[in-house]
Amino acid sequence: MTITYVLMQNLRRNRLRTALTAIAFALPMAVFVSAISFVAMFVRIAQANEKELRLGVHHRTTLTNYLPDGLRRKIEGLDPQRTRLSAVCGMRWFGGRVPETPNALTSLAADADTFPIVYSELDLTPEDTALWQRDKRAAIVGMGPAETYHWKVGQRVVLESTVPPYLSLDFNIIKISDNEMRTNFFYFRRDYLEDSLKEVNADGARCNIFWIKCQSAEAMRSLQEEIDRMTANTPDETKTEDENAFVANFTQALGDIPGLMQVMAAVVVFIIALVAGNTMMMSFRERTRELAVFKAIGFQAPRVFSIIMAESVMLATIGSLLGVVPTATFLLFFPITMFRFGPISRIEVSPLAVVVSLTIALLVGLLAGVWPAYQAMRLRTVDALRRVA
Amino acid sequence: MGAAAIELTDVRKVYRKNRIEIPVLEGLDLRIESGTFVVLMGPSGSGKSTLLHLIGGLDQPTSGRVRVGDYHLEEMTERELTTWRSRHVGFIFQMYHLVPVLTAAQNVELPLLLFRMSAAERRERVRTALSVVGLEDRMDHRPNQLSGGQEQRVAIARAIVTDPEVILADEPTGDLDAQTSEGILNLLNLLNTDFGKTILMVTHDPKAAAHGQRTLHLDKGVLERDTMHAPRAAAAASVN
Amino acid sequence: MALPFSYHWRNLLVRKTTTGLNILVVAAVVGVFCWLIGFAGALHSSLATASDSRKLIVLKSGATSESNSAIRTDEYNKLNQIAEVERLPGSGAPLISPEMIVQVQLPRVRDQGTTRANVGVRGVTETALQVHRNIKVLGRSFAPGAQEVIAGVSAAKQFGGLEIGETIHLGYASDRPYRIVGYFSAAGGPLESEIWGYLPSLMNAYNRAMYSSASMLLQPGAAAEPVITQINGPAIQLKAQTEAQYWSEQAKNIRIYLNITYVLVAIMSLAAIFSIANTMFSSVAGRTREIAMLRTIGFSGVQILTGFLLEAVMLSLLGAVMGCLGCAAWLATVGRTKDMFGATTFTSLAFEIQLTPMIILAALGCVALVGAVGALFPAWRAARVQVVTALREA
Repeated sequence: MTITYVLMQNLRRNRLRTALTAIAFALPMAVFVSAISFVAMFVRIAQANEKELRLGVHHRTTLTNYLPDGLRRKIEGLDPQRTRLSAVCGMRWFGGRVPETPNALTSLAADADTFPIVYSELDLTPEDTALWQRDKRAAIVGMGPAETYHWKVGQRVVLESTVPPYLSLDFNIIKISDNEMRTNFFYFRRDYLEDSLKEVNADGARCNIFWIKCQSAEAMRSLQEEIDRMTANTPDETKTEDENAFVANFTQALGDIPGLMQVMAAVVVFIIALVAGNTMMMSFRERTRELAVFKAIGFQAPRVFSIIMAESVMLATIGSLLGVVPTATFLLFFPITMFRFGPISRIEVSPLAVVVSLTIALLVGLLAGVWPAYQAMRLRTVDALRRVA
Repeated sequence: MGAAAIELTDVRKVYRKNRIEIPVLEGLDLRIESGTFVVLMGPSGSGKSTLLHLIGGLDQPTSGRVRVGDYHLEEMTERELTTWRSRHVGFIFQMYHLVPVLTAAQNVELPLLLFRMSAAERRERVRTALSVVGLEDRMDHRPNQLSGGQEQRVAIARAIVTDPEVILADEPTGDLDAQTSEGILNLLNLLNTDFGKTILMVTHDPKAAAHGQRTLHLDKGVLERDTMHAPRAAAAASVN
Repeated sequence: MALPFSYHWRNLLVRKTTTGLNILVVAAVVGVFCWLIGFAGALHSSLATASDSRKLIVLKSGATSESNSAIRTDEYNKLNQIAEVERLPGSGAPLISPEMIVQVQLPRVRDQGTTRANVGVRGVTETALQVHRNIKVLGRSFAPGAQEVIAGVSAAKQFGGLEIGETIHLGYASDRPYRIVGYFSAAGGPLESEIWGYLPSLMNAYNRAMYSSASMLLQPGAAAEPVITQINGPAIQLKAQTEAQYWSEQAKNIRIYLNITYVLVAIMSLAAIFSIANTMFSSVAGRTREIAMLRTIGFSGVQILTGFLLEAVMLSLLGAVMGCLGCAAWLATVGRTKDMFGATTFTSLAFEIQLTPMIILAALGCVALVGAVGALFPAWRAARVQVVTALREA
């Protein structure tokens, strides 16, 4: 027999309570690990975006105001030696949807020549790039729509635009990207869109946004200023911002779920701390005399303290594992894919979130144990024993 | 009888409650020889339990000296007292105070966790202690599977497993019927005679008191009467 | 004869730590509950209030919202042939309002302008006020000739630069200063999140020749269905929806928020149930002898059971009150304003999370249930306490 054994036996003493506490702990923990996974995913995407060193240039008024496609030459002209920027890719919103479905995909027509450079994280192989350059109807699709519509590489698909003049175009899917930062996109060649628009005599070549691949963070800052200065007081005044600032505008307009999740996570930690604390208090109170006996037969105060602390931590660990493991397993096998939020196409529990959750649980266990453990340590053996009779 | 195992000199104990001082022991002097079975009697609030706690190192006197063996308890820190308790005294309580989730053997083993000792040695000691109290066959029973008398025997085994010189018993038979009490008291007599333990027992029961060699009557914090008498002949004869 | 109320009350007080901790658990759950329901409810009601059954919204067929619809003037003129349209008394002009929707990015007040929202700017004519019957202009409306606009009250509150007298830059090149001259309300509907200006002026500024949409008011009693069929049909080939249909489609994307909300609230309520059950079990265990005594002197099992349920419900309601107060404090300090895109519009609908009496009642109701469910089994156990055994037990 060891002290650990005694601890385990203590948890078994009141099985009902241990079970109730573990469940009351596990349920919010399941929420916590999901919420943290979600937030972690956003942080990861934000970090990845930051690394890509991309600047977005759109019309000052809104993204829906077009910029002339000649602006690309002007931006490139700011750095003819290519010491600061690598490439500029103009993009035009197509807003295509699969016929008979309600929602438009994030479908964008991109400059064919620079797209592979600006979106280097899509890992296009030389063959992919060659195919993209050769096939005017080439489309590169993220995992999200590919899974939803069961698209395969080589498949021909038709999208109809939801913006005037509501073109219907067909595409060849040349690549399904599994890059988790770009899951909900549908990219195709802008020359294809512009030529098709010309056929119906729609207005000329224009872009909603230009994405610039920069070479350094300093280059980003200087270009950001120069571009906005260059277009100031012209009809095409621009707003240039980095990718994360650009995304933040939408995150807010999409209900600020990351913010919501952060608050949820905080509330959940509060709740589990209360639940665990409550149990430890009750358990301590019922065992006051027993703990006094421990002290009487020679257990030192710090030892009694750590017995209660260890019990609390053990309880928290059991509760958190009970919450985290099933949630992680469930989401691993049944990822919630119908959930589309910005670049995120599915919720799955990340290892980071598991580590964070277990750490938090550990801290909560310590926190919940501190007060009862302190009281147990300070317990006046004589008083506690006298309370018996 | 050898040297005094326990020696109290002018011990005062005062409790404070809401700024009111309540004297419990008032200048007590006491010598207890090693290997004596001493019975403490007196009405409620006479200070018997306090005296027991002072000797057991659970509490410190307000003034005066408490020596047990070679240790001057009033000079020791809380931490030192705790260590001292684990080696030199064994406690027996009225309500047994066994850990309900542990088996009899495990309850007995509990104090040994504080010693550097191999598992085998611990097991051996537990077996010995339980055989002394006659409960080897109940080793794997939980407290709720034992009778009151058996529980108290386990508690006694727990008190002797560390082989302390002094055993302190606070109304060990207070919750037991006459016949069971007799068994427990005989067991204490056995520990006293065969193992040479110094025993200090608080009790209300005159029949129980008859098992001791010396009876101390406390009243209002003062030693009122100190009677010496021979142990009953029958005491050591039967344990069960 | 029931046990006196104060008996239960005191029992809660005696176990003050565990009672307090449970109250806090319930309060946290209720706080989140109120906020989430308030969020979903506010968005939903701002979309739902916009349902004038006599009003139709006409888009280009294929368009999913006003922001991506474009109607040529000749297409628009075909709408005049619809007989069921209400006419202006006197002139007899049909109540069809041609409209153009564009957007302007304005800073969000709630984050001091760190992020910017797409705010809808609607070009309208004088007819619009007759068609959109719930619009109330507060102060002065824009003058047709001048570069003036009026702001919806929600937009004015949540987005920067919309005070009366301030100027926003609109137009294709963002170079036309428009002055804010007044506000308007729309009975809490989504139009309150918009900025309205004079249609010809804005079309000129944005260099547009096409309308985005048209709204029309039907005569009282006229059925919408035949009109919709007529508009969708070969003669006109546009797409009509009743206002309710249009906005309920825009509200589709709040379903995921509602779903998340329900799941989160359900999980946390379950946790609260277990926590309360835990405490009540412990309370029952600690009071076994007391219960036995009550049974001995003649209280029935049912009375004991009710008593424990009452205690749990009291505890929960206390928690609920604290949660509601906490939520109200959060809304008051952190902010109650939110904005969100509709399902297919690219414009922000601004709304405010309100702790309505309905939400508070719902919270109290749910929480009373949570308390009762949590206490049910412990109370059941208490009611079945065996008197003799319990009294004998130490």
